[in-house]
Amino acid sequence: MLRWFLPGLLAGCLLILGSGAVMTRTSENSFCDSCHMHPNAASRWKRSVHYDTRSGTRTDCVECHLPPKGEGLLVAKAKAGARDVWGKLTKDPEAIDWEVKSQPEYARRHVYESSCKACHENLFPATLSKEGDDAHLYYTNYAESRDIHCINCHLNAGHHIEGYVPGANMDFGLRAWVEGAVWEEPARVEEFATFTETIPGTTVSFTMMAVPGGRFFMGSPPEEPFRRENEGPVREVLVDSLFIAEVEVTWDEYLAFYAMTSGEGRSTDTEGMRLEMAGVDVVTGATPPYGQPDQGWGLGSRPVITVTFQAAEAYARWLSQMTGKRYRLPTEAEWEYGARGGTSGPYFFPGDPREYEGRGIRRLLARPDTAVINRYVVYAGNSRSRTAEPMRVEANPFGLKNMLGNVAEFVSDWYADDAYARYPEGVVVNPTGPAEGTERVLRGGSFRDEAGRVRVAARAPTTTDACLRTDPQMPKSIWWYSDCNYIGFRVVAEYDARTGRGSNDP
Amino acid sequence: MSDEALSRRGFVGTAVAAGVAGAALPLFLTGCSAPRREVTIPVFLDQAPDGPLLTAGLVGCGGRGTGAALDFLNAGPNLKVTALGDVFPDRVNACRERLNRDKGQEIPEERSFVGFDAWEKVMDSGVDVVLLATPPYFRPEQFAAAVDARKHVFMEKPVCVDPTGARSVIVTARKAEGLGLSVVTGTQRRHQRDYVATYREVARGRIGELVSATCYWNQGKLWHRDPNPAWSEMEYMIRDWVNWCWLSGDHIVEQHIHNLDVIHWFMGAYPVSAVGFGSRHRRVTGDQFDNFSVDYVMEDGRHFHSMCRQIDGCADNISERVQGTKGWSNCQNLIADHAGKELWKYQYPLDEEGNPTHAVEVSPFLQEHIDLVTAIRTDKPLNEAEATAMSTLVAIMGRISAYTGREVTMEEVMGSDMRLGPRVFAFGPVDMPNEVPVAGQPYVART
Repeated sequence: MLRWFLPGLLAGCLLILGSGAVMTRTSENSFCDSCHMHPNAASRWKRSVHYDTRSGTRTDCVECHLPPKGEGLLVAKAKAGARDVWGKLTKDPEAIDWEVKSQPEYARRHVYESSCKACHENLFPATLSKEGDDAHLYYTNYAESRDIHCINCHLNAGHHIEGYVPGANMDFGLRAWVEGAVWEEPARVEEFATFTETIPGTTVSFTMMAVPGGRFFMGSPPEEPFRRENEGPVREVLVDSLFIAEVEVTWDEYLAFYAMTSGEGRSTDTEGMRLEMAGVDVVTGATPPYGQPDQGWGLGSRPVITVTFQAAEAYARWLSQMTGKRYRLPTEAEWEYGARGGTSGPYFFPGDPREYEGRGIRRLLARPDTAVINRYVVYAGNSRSRTAEPMRVEANPFGLKNMLGNVAEFVSDWYADDAYARYPEGVVVNPTGPAEGTERVLRGGSFRDEAGRVRVAARAPTTTDACLRTDPQMPKSIWWYSDCNYIGFRVVAEYDARTGRGSNDP
Repeated sequence: MSDEALSRRGFVGTAVAAGVAGAALPLFLTGCSAPRREVTIPVFLDQAPDGPLLTAGLVGCGGRGTGAALDFLNAGPNLKVTALGDVFPDRVNACRERLNRDKGQEIPEERSFVGFDAWEKVMDSGVDVVLLATPPYFRPEQFAAAVDARKHVFMEKPVCVDPTGARSVIVTARKAEGLGLSVVTGTQRRHQRDYVATYREVARGRIGELVSATCYWNQGKLWHRDPNPAWSEMEYMIRDWVNWCWLSGDHIVEQHIHNLDVIHWFMGAYPVSAVGFGSRHRRVTGDQFDNFSVDYVMEDGRHFHSMCRQIDGCADNISERVQGTKGWSNCQNLIADHAGKELWKYQYPLDEEGNPTHAVEVSPFLQEHIDLVTAIRTDKPLNEAEATAMSTLVAIMGRISAYTGREVTMEEVMGSDMRLGPRVFAFGPVDMPNEVPVAGQPYVART
């Protein structure tokens, strides 16, 4: 018995000491960095506030990317290690979209909030700014019920992000100015034909496609794959001729509005809204956003995102004033008529949604053949989780681009599940949706959606509360969504068949 | 611990002997259905313990402030008031004389500050504690500055008049907590021994689970000042402050907060919504109502009702009442079952002839300062600011509902940017609307 005791004790000690050493060694930054292949993970960490701290204290990889001791550290470490080894052996780092993985909804899976709070015990240090006061109060009130993570506001804490502003972004969009001649006059429209609108006082122009009115069947038949109940019953609808913007409103277009009107309310309060609610006939501009409205994906011809429904309507009112035309958001019927372009299937191009869908049992067997859908739609299958410039896709038969993908679009109708069933029998003429409601309709899927959700007939309600989930401002912004980076909009202009003119100028 | 050992004197004796004066006694409660809840029963001393000199500066030298300064000085040994500040010189002078006459405090001229910036000078004068007793409008900013300057604070209720102020006080309260500062807030029922003893009995389940509550502050007319041709509009408003919503928060906030706070304390929760009525029948000056009636709803669906009035010649009642599954209590000294049978009564001290008195041993106004000084000297911080800010916000929620006629939710007020009062402070005209609110919409004839 005894002769086994000493060697056993020795082996035990070695094991304990050894595993301790392994734990230590595998928790060092150099060990993490020896495999971790994200470009610049280490250098961006060195430029972050967690490395270059005022006190000189350095925060290491595992202090954020693993939970604190006693809160599942070993299990999390084992899991992360296994995942990393598997990734190292089987994945091509070049093929991984690291930028997507840096977005909060992905990054939060690898940043432990319990670890944030293990160090940052006091969320209300005496040095906290006024903006920080409000934000941390919002966090302590709603972190649980609204699922808010520290990195929703402090995404750049561990790895530097160029241009990241965790707070009121007063400079946003101010330097965005499209090179070129400044337009003096808006476009003259004398006949029903596609025209290029020019916004006076700006360098911005865009194309409005003439879409001749007609009858079509709105909604989808019960047998359509991925159909939802709210897409029916199918109704025959008549829509008048109108102009529909070739592409979703771009950042260039929206920022022209922002730059010219934001003088009305260049603060983060809602003064502008009050003027409007009081019935004063002025177009008041958006207040500065909180954070990065473009998500760092770029401005230019990419579709504007993260603006609210009210901001979209304000933009259309402003555009009408600037051009003397009647610009507005499309109705749901106008939108679907435009998107179908005279076709009647799930898409305006050939193909079965089941063939294109990237999820489901079929995908275990074979990769989808997406050559056709890729030509027309920016969706989950090809978007790398962000918006695309409109030049990337081809137009539909009416010459409209990105009706089905890129960003979901506001239309002016209130949302109801049974909106189509509510219309009177027979052909419905220029329907405008339910008389009242709480959320608007979103049409056309986005870069986040799979093929089944970018069908022409797919529809969904806006989710205002969710879109403002992490906005800590009191009150929340009426101009910018903090959390909906997949919604934009498109404008239409009315056409007056009696005068043959597209304008309402006197 | 037995009931016997929990009796105040018995426990205080032990606490003092053990050198943990002022310690709070946690009481663990279990119920069949309710989750385990921990409540804290404060332990009261008759005097704060001795210690190094603590100096206080008073901001707001009216009746309430002067009273607070006297209570501070009476709280224990080695306490001094060394600076005064008020917007009006007559207030500073009267207070200075009173503190000199009653307590022999010599506050020199150069530490008696007058004007809208007097409070900043008081805070810069090297005091350890600031006593904030101006009209509540000014509280959030002064409290933030006091904590920023690492001062312990006594401040009168209410602690703000609008949601912006409430959020500011909540944040400052948390900063004070991080800094280990003590803050006592003038909701003196929480320092009144009969209330606390009753709370302990209710928390132990004497009346079962609480199902509803009612609270009242119905009294006659409060005071007002008539305009004086020598005063600017700003001076007039401040001198007449209990009649102006931007300064006082209206009487549901300014006065009734005491009773609302007791309900929150006993029920252990704040309401999530309110629907209120109110109107102005007989108020003489200002822009406030003189009566409110509000139905508050808790998250779990329990309701409680609040009533307050400042009109002469009506039924008066200043009290609270909580209803439980097994009985009820007036929150102050009595517990009875549903049949009206007395289950428990607070034992007031006896007078010289051996008859029970009707007052607690130590005035709750004095007790607040004893508790504050004890917390500072024993380094066991006491911080009531957030609880009082929440109670103030509940009162504000009721006020907004009565003013507008709408249901108002806690989520709404918590996220509201409402900020009352002028943007500029100087003696002169006050540029802001001050009509008395009218609820709802006017009738429009439909033809």
